[in-house]
Amino acid sequence: MKDVFVSSSPHIHSPEDIPWIMRQVVYALIPGALVGVYFFGLPAIKVIAVSMVSCVLVEALWQKAMKTRIQVNDWSAALTGLLLAMNLPAGCPWWMVAIGSAVAIVFGKQVYGGLGSNPFNPALVARIFLLISFPVAMTTWPQPRPFFTQTADAVTGATPLGALKTAIFEHQTVTAAPPIDLMDPFLGNIGGSLGEISALALILGGLYLIIRRIITWHTPVAFLGTVAVFTGVLWKIDPNIYAAPAFHLVTGGLMLGAFFMATDYVTTPISTRGKVVFGIGCGLITVIIRIWGGYPEGVAFSILIMNALVPLINRATQPKRFGAQA
Amino acid sequence: MSAFKGGVHPPEEKALVRDKAIETFPLSPLYHVLVQQHLGAPARPIVKAGDQVKKGQVLTEPMGFVSVPVHAPTSGRVRDVGKMVHPVTGLLSPCIVIEADGNDEWADGLPLERDPFSMAKDEFLEAIRNAGIVGMGGATFPTHVKLSPPEGKSIDTLIINGVECEPYLSSDHRLMLEEPEKVIKGTKVAMRVLGLDRAVIAIEGNKPDAVRVMKEKAPREIQVSSLAVKYPQGSEKQLIKALTNREVPSGGLPMDVGTVVQNAGTAAAIWDACSSGIPLIERITSVTGRGVRDPKNIRVRVGTVVRDVIEFCGGLEGAAKIIFGGPMMGIAQFTQEIPVMKGTSGILVLTEKDTNISDYSACISCGRCVEACPMGLIPSTLSKLGERGMWEEASKIGLMDCIECGCCTYVCPARRPIVHFIKHLKALSRAAASKKKGA
Amino acid sequence: MLTATLVVGGIGAVCALILGISLVTFAVKMDAREKEVMDNLPGANCGACGFAGCAALAHELTVNPDTRMTCPAVNEKMLQAIGEILGRDMGGVSPVIAAVRCRGGRQEAPVRYEYVGPRDCRSAQLIAGGPKGCGYGCLGLGTCATVCPFDAMVMGEDGLPRVITDKCTGCGKCVDACPRDIIALVPKTGNYCVGCISQDAPKDMKKICSVGCIKCGICADVCPFEAIVSEKGKAARIDQDKCRKCGLCVGVCPVSVITSRTAPEKARIIPQKCKGCGICEQVCPVEAISGKAKEPYRVDPGKCMGCGLCIEKCPTEAIERDNT
Repeated sequence: MKDVFVSSSPHIHSPEDIPWIMRQVVYALIPGALVGVYFFGLPAIKVIAVSMVSCVLVEALWQKAMKTRIQVNDWSAALTGLLLAMNLPAGCPWWMVAIGSAVAIVFGKQVYGGLGSNPFNPALVARIFLLISFPVAMTTWPQPRPFFTQTADAVTGATPLGALKTAIFEHQTVTAAPPIDLMDPFLGNIGGSLGEISALALILGGLYLIIRRIITWHTPVAFLGTVAVFTGVLWKIDPNIYAAPAFHLVTGGLMLGAFFMATDYVTTPISTRGKVVFGIGCGLITVIIRIWGGYPEGVAFSILIMNALVPLINRATQPKRFGAQA
Repeated sequence: MSAFKGGVHPPEEKALVRDKAIETFPLSPLYHVLVQQHLGAPARPIVKAGDQVKKGQVLTEPMGFVSVPVHAPTSGRVRDVGKMVHPVTGLLSPCIVIEADGNDEWADGLPLERDPFSMAKDEFLEAIRNAGIVGMGGATFPTHVKLSPPEGKSIDTLIINGVECEPYLSSDHRLMLEEPEKVIKGTKVAMRVLGLDRAVIAIEGNKPDAVRVMKEKAPREIQVSSLAVKYPQGSEKQLIKALTNREVPSGGLPMDVGTVVQNAGTAAAIWDACSSGIPLIERITSVTGRGVRDPKNIRVRVGTVVRDVIEFCGGLEGAAKIIFGGPMMGIAQFTQEIPVMKGTSGILVLTEKDTNISDYSACISCGRCVEACPMGLIPSTLSKLGERGMWEEASKIGLMDCIECGCCTYVCPARRPIVHFIKHLKALSRAAASKKKGA
Repeated sequence: MLTATLVVGGIGAVCALILGISLVTFAVKMDAREKEVMDNLPGANCGACGFAGCAALAHELTVNPDTRMTCPAVNEKMLQAIGEILGRDMGGVSPVIAAVRCRGGRQEAPVRYEYVGPRDCRSAQLIAGGPKGCGYGCLGLGTCATVCPFDAMVMGEDGLPRVITDKCTGCGKCVDACPRDIIALVPKTGNYCVGCISQDAPKDMKKICSVGCIKCGICADVCPFEAIVSEKGKAARIDQDKCRKCGLCVGVCPVSVITSRTAPEKARIIPQKCKGCGICEQVCPVEAISGKAKEPYRVDPGKCMGCGLCIEKCPTEAIERDNT
């Protein structure tokens, strides 16, 4: 009976596999990406396309060069490409995006041994690399304009968080920053990275992932909750120098980070308790950087710092064993 | 709030045979009775080629307390005491081959007629042992040993396991539906042996007709409990936790928390042995799966060759795997030249679509396995240690607590054969331990 | 200036004190014999033994009496000293190399089922005794190659492992990894090995493997040095201590199961030195030398198997290896 398969039990399997999971995350990012394209136009489409294609190409070339199986059909490189694009300003030149993609795939993932072995979130590694290498381009934010009104020259300006940081440095008060209608960052009519501008679109995507059981609610709730509570306490103490929690929740990369970056499987804790600890840590560090740090936004840094602590968190939050003696 | 942590919900697939009444498999010309059909010390054949045997005649002598004999499934002549592939190990194992003479004549005195409730506890245990009764849920642990816990272990709970949580299988379901009295009377015998005045029969809620029938027939002292469906609720430790909220300690047994669990089929066999002296020579088996043309529930004698059973059920069609047991913990076979055994609760034939033969990739730490593990282990770490043969580190994080239920492997998106890695680590650990002992 | 000196000096003193205390309180308890054993090892830390340096080998030898002395660079004096320290016989100096005793690859020895599971021979063995039709043959999943610390074992296209002679140090990790004990450590000086350890009956061998040993015993019969053991029911085995590498057995084996590691260098008679005594013709096991008395003899390169007996026995050292 040579055509019979023999393996260890179990002999049935849930239909979900890695490509399926990666695709679900890509689908969940589509609303956010569409908002970015709507407000930033053709440049946004270019960034997304270059990023995704470059990531897939670089991974395929690397795996071929290393003589290992080419696994780009697991969609993980494509997902990294999309996540990276969502984290970049729409005005990024194509070659910068390509460099970022190469850094994400090679130094964020492949040098550690490929999928499953990297300690840091690849898209964020690339983003921070680009931020430090090309600070001007990475902090030049095109202003949002509805799709059909875009012209060839994009007007750039500060993001809400950028304006906040400037106000604190120059005037030591947040009220000096131009006031904004919170509906704008909630819906997306605001400056920022091309994928982070619409809190609503990202929340919808995040809810899709939670309902599909791709991610659990623990990390986003812990992350967002900690930011809300921490900034809330500070705002209560002095609303002149601390912005309101609602402001902090909808601006910057928080929604993108809480639902899509801090929930990356490979670089986050494996147990539920660990995920909560991770979310809380990210929230604390994000607020600290936003309020007291040199950079206006702290989400990317906070996630990378917490990534470094994941092995420790895993050790400390092991599940309770059945029948364990006291 | 679930009764036990972890677990998965694979598609039940019981519709294939759930509503099919038990058919009796006709007498075969040849029976291959494996000598080792139980967990424990081996038994010694006491017949040789040429001997005439009658149905129910004892063929082997147990060599130790944790050991039981096997019996002739029909009358005839011993052709030889040779070897056959054992479905559990896949290796050639001692096997007594009997040529049926067609008369199907019982051994002298059988079947008896006695009132089990006038027997003493020791007589029960002897009858159960002499009848070769073992756990028929698949584990095949000698029942007389389970029913005689050592001094110092006081038992206050008896659970009859009619849960049948494995997908596809319906043998216990049909047994409870068609022969509820046997299961209940067997339960009463077990209660007598353990000195209890109460017992619980646990059935999963996906068998409402069985629950109804058992509730109708059960006397007041036997409670019939319908449980929410979740795999692996039929696993002893999980069932005890679900019903009594007691956790069997790591490295321990149910009797350490005052509980004894018996499969429903075993209960029926206990009744047959005590009331009629009939040994365990046949059982109800579900022959199911989309790889066999005509799935059925059959009453089949131990020693029947699987090739004949499959033919009786319409033959193979697109078969990719032939499994003894259920899809989650069953053992895949590489040949049809194997005999039905006491613990064969199912013969499952899966098509390629229904099984998983894909290659595996690296662990992505998604955590699904941690959520699914009913024993609170970290299967992903165990699988990574398994790739490197690091059994010592694995033992420190609960390797030996693993019940090999398969929940982790079922959910893993990287298709990693986690249970296999764990089996590998356990084998390395045992080899090192025996080397140390022998040195 | 003085303040700075005192401060830095003080810090240095405090650090030294901390280090000194740590040296005592955190000292690793070690069996005293370990250091002595290590002192008797070559100290090259080459790792050829299969462990992480001489200290690691010394540790393993001391705590685990089953550890093989796998250092290829020890001499007799070192071995004796270590033996005295540990109180056991360490064996003699004999460089060894791994030999794979199976020639039944994918083509020759077919599988009986399609295996699905970890890419590891030991794991495959757990599933019904392994997917190979032959219960003794190589499972071909490459665990031996994976555990080799020197990349000296490579899986071939045919599903069999190949030892790279130049890299193999005889550490024995592959021997331990193989679940079927197919790999053996043989003296480096040896050249021939029977590529089969099957104990299946000869009548079954055709179904199981086209190149498996059929236990015919012909090799044992032709061996002029009685170096081949052919027990009933077991595959033939070459006793490397007695084997003179004449290669006769290779030629007569009906299934070509005897392998050779290297192509041996043939013998060549130097006519000027040859006195025509004829001893070489007498000792040659394959009748490759011929000649007339008192005239230079000649080696037939077509028949010569390179065993070197003639070179050994020639009284005038008139025979040499032909390494052209």
